[in-house]
Amino acid sequence: MSSISHSKGAPRAPLFRISSERIVLALLALLILSVSVAPMLRLAQAALLDDDGLAIERLTKLFLRPQTGAAIWNTIQISLTSTLVSLLVGTIFAVIMVQTDLRGKSALVFAFVLPLMIPPQVTAMAWIQAFSPSSPVLGLLGLSMEAGTRHPLYSKTGIILLLGIYNAPLVYLAMQASLRRIPMDLAEAARAAGAGPLRVLLTVILPLARGGMVAAASLAFVSAIGNFGIQAMLGIPARVPTLIIQIYQQINGLGPSALLNMAALSLVLAALTVAGVLLAGRAGDRNDTRVDLVSRPLMLPLGRAGIVIAVLLWGYQIVSLLLPLSALLQTSLVPAYGLPLTAETITLKNYISALFQQVSLRNAFVTSLWLTLFTMGFLMLSSVFLGYFLAWRRGPLVRLLHFGSEAAYTLPGITLGVAMILLFLRPLPGVGISIYGTPWIILAAYVAGFFALALRPVLSGYAQIDRALEEAAQVAGAGFLRRMRDVIWPLIAPTAIAAAVIVFMTAINEIQTSILLISSGTRTIGPMIIFLEEGGASTLAAAVGCLMILGVLTLMLLSTALSRFLPKGVLPWQF
Amino acid sequence: MRLTVTTFALMLSATAVSAQTTLTLYTSQSPEIAQQTVDAFMAKHPDIIVEWMRNGTSQLMNIMTAEQEAGGIKADVLLVADSINLGTLKQQGLLLAWPEAPLEGIDPLMYDADKTFFGTKISSTGIVYNTQIAAPVTGWADLFQDANAGQIVAPSPLYSGAALVHMHSLLQDASQGWGYYERLNTLGVVPEGGNGPVLKAVAGGQMKYGVNIDADVLRAKRAGSPVEFVYPTEGATFFTEPVAILAGTDKVEAAHAFVSFILSEEGQKLAVEQGYMPVDPKVASPEGMPALSEIKLMPLDADRAVAEDTEARAKFTEIFGG
Repeated sequence: MSSISHSKGAPRAPLFRISSERIVLALLALLILSVSVAPMLRLAQAALLDDDGLAIERLTKLFLRPQTGAAIWNTIQISLTSTLVSLLVGTIFAVIMVQTDLRGKSALVFAFVLPLMIPPQVTAMAWIQAFSPSSPVLGLLGLSMEAGTRHPLYSKTGIILLLGIYNAPLVYLAMQASLRRIPMDLAEAARAAGAGPLRVLLTVILPLARGGMVAAASLAFVSAIGNFGIQAMLGIPARVPTLIIQIYQQINGLGPSALLNMAALSLVLAALTVAGVLLAGRAGDRNDTRVDLVSRPLMLPLGRAGIVIAVLLWGYQIVSLLLPLSALLQTSLVPAYGLPLTAETITLKNYISALFQQVSLRNAFVTSLWLTLFTMGFLMLSSVFLGYFLAWRRGPLVRLLHFGSEAAYTLPGITLGVAMILLFLRPLPGVGISIYGTPWIILAAYVAGFFALALRPVLSGYAQIDRALEEAAQVAGAGFLRRMRDVIWPLIAPTAIAAAVIVFMTAINEIQTSILLISSGTRTIGPMIIFLEEGGASTLAAAVGCLMILGVLTLMLLSTALSRFLPKGVLPWQF
Repeated sequence: MRLTVTTFALMLSATAVSAQTTLTLYTSQSPEIAQQTVDAFMAKHPDIIVEWMRNGTSQLMNIMTAEQEAGGIKADVLLVADSINLGTLKQQGLLLAWPEAPLEGIDPLMYDADKTFFGTKISSTGIVYNTQIAAPVTGWADLFQDANAGQIVAPSPLYSGAALVHMHSLLQDASQGWGYYERLNTLGVVPEGGNGPVLKAVAGGQMKYGVNIDADVLRAKRAGSPVEFVYPTEGATFFTEPVAILAGTDKVEAAHAFVSFILSEEGQKLAVEQGYMPVDPKVASPEGMPALSEIKLMPLDADRAVAEDTEARAKFTEIFGG
């Protein structure tokens, strides 16, 4: 204390100075190693090792079962084909929204993104109901099926279709940010040279957007693999075993050894996905598009076709949004499930009960909301920093962090939940406090589970930034944090916020992880819906679901109203 | 400054609370019912705070296995659907016996012979049908007709504790056995999920018939759903929602108070209000439910079920191609 070696403001000796860049990297490493890598290792240990070494006998038995092989094959097949469906629907939508002069885009995108906020279990339930003999909508059209016929959705095709439709908005969100930043000079040149809109699209725009497309495809692929709700609701009655269904049946079916088998199967699932993501990464790396931020987006004129396209797109919304949503709304407005909605039966009692009478529900709403917002903000910031290192400062550590975040994302929610309990039940070393039973364990699980979700779009955003800008700032003497704030952030903000929206929508209706981590003081809303559903309170569960959607809708509208304070192009549904 | 004051206030209140006992309850009851039960108990015992967590029975078992693996179960008291999962916990030495438990007047069939877990109410599994689209049936034989193929829905014993008891009770019944599930299989029925979704499928008209729990069906019927419950002529299976104290608890006294309350006349009356048949014969069944003497129940040997459980689950999975 007595010797202050240098006066205020003088540069310190570089030997003692740790650059802010290194501090940020160290913090990121600490975060990912503790919430993503450590649970993975703990799980691998549980899966592969017994008390006396490698559990060869147990694992051989598990993997020699014919069901295991069938499940692996089905999982690959279903995830790949449903990814194609998502990619097709999402890309068509993104191209039309970003590159054409269609009218009423904001409303369309708003409607297109909304189904992401309905938990997959609820979506599956609503679709099953919509196609059942008692379907209100099909019945109206005289198309309802006879009682006793096999439900068309209870099939592999049904699973693929529903997963594809469910994940299409993810593709859209990931793609539109990158589509918006394609330099339009090339497309304009092609147009000037006489190429028609379709040709411009196929030969100029889509090839330029390949990086975003690969990122979008890997998002959809991993989401399909891990979508427990749809796979279980359709796959079990259809007798199409997949890995995630097997994991669920193992954990529910076989007593104490289930945990170990479940861990082993989860590792297979993680390996499959990481392989898929790495392959996608290689394909994406080859295409490094630079953007020219000043060029205005080219608007392909649709002319008369615009009306036809608008009708088709709204028709799609009616099937994919209105059908399930109307089933949910109808259920929430009757006093008991199965009653038709008429002037006599309509009631708000479910809403009153959800909002005012059930304290635990209200607490769950609040808990979910702050956990989700916190996760969203935190991940947006972290992924912008990690994205920087991944894009421009790759090294072994950075690679490990990338791999760790991807691997944790691939774990099924239920497995991640178990891994979190195994790791965090005991008091944290040094602090002596256990985060089990507190909101912090759910937060840790969310950060681990959704890091890759935020990171992928951000990475494709970095691929489109010209690094010369950042290097120029560095030469001019700007420090790391300064460059991040003044140079990188304005360029990456639209993608980062699109990523944040994806995280928000995924986390707000998350069920599988938090169902194992909630405690008396910490309940999130997704599991509460399931508990009500299980307890036979379907109408109350539907009201809670509608309230959730209403809440998110409010947030979306609020951010739209405040959008003039945000950088342009930040909100995915705004044009 | 404000933060300091708040923190200080919080610390103070934490000290005040520590003069009381906090009991941790894991339960599979629905959130509404769990809250009612806990509230009624805490009104009677202001010195005990019950923190409860609700989850499906299988999920609770997963959580406890993971907790055990990582250093110890957090719950003090358990209130779940079935005696088989509890029997398994008992076998692992995880439950605390209470030989002096207040069980006067209660049928010994309702509690564990070693007094490690005690039935709190009786719920039967039988048949539910949609009154608008389905013809009434009286028993399993009526239901399992080829004409009803694809119109029956059932909960899975791999998921629901009630369905697990149902399975073992049928397996221990000479006239049912695996034939019951093989018949379901030939009718194209795949048991899945819990009892709530089954009720939903029948009430909503997606399916005509379902295998379900009496109290849930009667509650829905009272609210206006087009459903009716049938106690099958061959016999309804039943479960007792047992309460148990974990061996690792350091709050034995508070746990005893909780168990006593559930088994007391007041606790039993609360169960009746919630729509369940009481285990205490001094308390009358809820309206719309028959007296115990009017229905045929299939008994369950819980110890045998525990012994056969792994094998039975494997066989079930084999039949339905898990």
